[in-house]
Amino acid sequence: MSLWHIAWSYLWSRKLPTSLTIASVALAVGLISSVLTLREETRKRFEEEGQAFDIVVGAKGSPLQLVLSCVYFMDVPTGNILYSDYERLRNHDDVAAAFPIGLGDTYRGFRIVGTISELFEYQWVNPVTNEPRRPFQLAQGRFFERPMEAVLGSTVARQNELNVGDTFVGTHGFMELPEGMGHVHGDWPYTVVGILKPSGSPNDRVVFCDLQSVWDIHGAGRAQDAKDEEYRGPWRPGVQGDEAHVEHLPASGGRHGEGDAEDEPREVTAVLISLQSPALRFQFEEFVNDDFNAMAARPVSQIAKLYDQLLGTAKTVLLAIGYLVVVISALSILIGLYLSILQRKRDLAIMRALGASSFEILGAVIIEAFWVTVLGIIAGWGLGSVVTAGIGVYLAQRFGLYVQAFGLTTDHLLAFGTVAFVGLVAGILPAWQAYQTDVARDLSQV
Amino acid sequence: MVKLEKCRRRLGPGVEFYCEAFHAAPGVHMALWGPSGCGKTTMLNLISGLLRPDEGTIRVDGQEIQDFTEGRLDRFRGERFGFVFQTFNLLAPFTALQNVMLGMRFSDTVPASEWKGRARELLERVGLGHRLHSKPAALSVGEQQRVAIARALANRQKLVVADEPTGSLDPKTAKTVMDLLLEMCQEEKVTALLVTHDRDIAERLPEQFDCSGLVEEVA
Repeated sequence: MSLWHIAWSYLWSRKLPTSLTIASVALAVGLISSVLTLREETRKRFEEEGQAFDIVVGAKGSPLQLVLSCVYFMDVPTGNILYSDYERLRNHDDVAAAFPIGLGDTYRGFRIVGTISELFEYQWVNPVTNEPRRPFQLAQGRFFERPMEAVLGSTVARQNELNVGDTFVGTHGFMELPEGMGHVHGDWPYTVVGILKPSGSPNDRVVFCDLQSVWDIHGAGRAQDAKDEEYRGPWRPGVQGDEAHVEHLPASGGRHGEGDAEDEPREVTAVLISLQSPALRFQFEEFVNDDFNAMAARPVSQIAKLYDQLLGTAKTVLLAIGYLVVVISALSILIGLYLSILQRKRDLAIMRALGASSFEILGAVIIEAFWVTVLGIIAGWGLGSVVTAGIGVYLAQRFGLYVQAFGLTTDHLLAFGTVAFVGLVAGILPAWQAYQTDVARDLSQV
Repeated sequence: MVKLEKCRRRLGPGVEFYCEAFHAAPGVHMALWGPSGCGKTTMLNLISGLLRPDEGTIRVDGQEIQDFTEGRLDRFRGERFGFVFQTFNLLAPFTALQNVMLGMRFSDTVPASEWKGRARELLERVGLGHRLHSKPAALSVGEQQRVAIARALANRQKLVVADEPTGSLDPKTAKTVMDLLLEMCQEEKVTALLVTHDRDIAERLPEQFDCSGLVEEVA
């Protein structure tokens, strides 16, 4: 028969009002918890993926747009740069690896990314967690070896029920259009040759193909192909650029924009670059911006800016709403307990007559506030986790971002501590009311 | 056991309670009787420390309690007094067993390890061994008052004060409860002060104190 048990018994005897009060606290905590988890998890995922490459080089425009479009495959690209720029970049002494990216088409909303097969061999170590990352591991089949062969991210394959050997055609542009709408490259079917394992990264939502496929379909580089016998592959660590050539991929006919493409030089949308050392990022960014008709961006810094500016504000607004709900919940705790104390003044007087001190009565009411708050926090954390898991499913499907729904960070603990404090403060007024029980008067009221 | 001397308490504008002298010896069973509004309950509240006198002294079990601090008075009341009220005053969220245990919860007289056993034993003695886990709402009024009697004796109190303990009961149940209360007080060797407006009930106790005239109008 501790005070905890006495307080709990009184709460239990008022199940409905107690549940409603707990629910209001849970809603507030759920909102706060969800915002904190989503913010932390998406930031982690973005930053992790942002660590994969030190620099992205693309057409001049918004650096953030360049990073989002070519690292996270979310936004519209800023434009194209010359393939010769890619060749210059990959041969630079500071560059450990460079991979061209060619965008232009989608398949049912999923980006078709033209690149070179060496990208699949790329490994990196997360400098924050020191975790080795191999983002391109095959679940089925093989990597592409020639144009019009495609390797699918796991989500693309699953959602479209595509298997190795199946064929599909891309649609021009980046918009997800209803079936039958948009410019379909009907004469250029891709054949699925491989499917990647889920990586928890934007790669899960991408169709990878040879860069030549993108050129062939869009006509660019055809004239250049006629002049060159071969084009060179990327520079790789330990391999000189001249040795790392890729088999020449002849251009095909029958594509749109054919007439305009005759004299156009080959282009790529962006180049993903891994430097010999992350310490070279600033220097190399400056070098590219000064010496090329292109723009360099550091993915990590762009994502940090995005979080600080856009998501930072959103987080502040959502947290403000959360804490406003906390205040409302605190009021509901206060009102609920206050009414309860008024209703059972006689019970408190009886306890005083049985020998309970004023402090024990005060303590019992504070404990009631504590129970309500703690149960609200636990329920709210669970609710927030379920909501986060739901949003996580959407984020995974829409952006390839996998979030850990049941997060408990220092921010969470701080927020929960604040809610607990506010809840206890809300219990003080009713507790004071109970403390001041006039035993003789309250006992005499029948 | 209980002694009041020149005890005065203002009850409202122009109304006050005054008792020149009152004495109840240890182990006595005494009725405080008189018509409604004569000051019986005020006297009981003063004796049990629920009210403080404006003047005079109140001595219980050898100690003058009128100047006790609030905390000391709470503890003293929990250790020395058992209460039986007209409306039973059981705590609704708790079972009969828990209500009796609450009688021991707020003092150190009975060790915590014995609370359950003592509560069970008392409830069996008042004939409620089969209703240990029933909540007050599930008990009849007679059963509720029997739980209240068990609770009043749980702490091995020296003094039981009962305020119209049969006031809410039908005559047959009232007689049963009254017999039980006196029998239990006899067995536990406690002093019993019983407030009643019913002369017949008062005469069933060995001693009576007429409270008429304790509340008077003053200028």
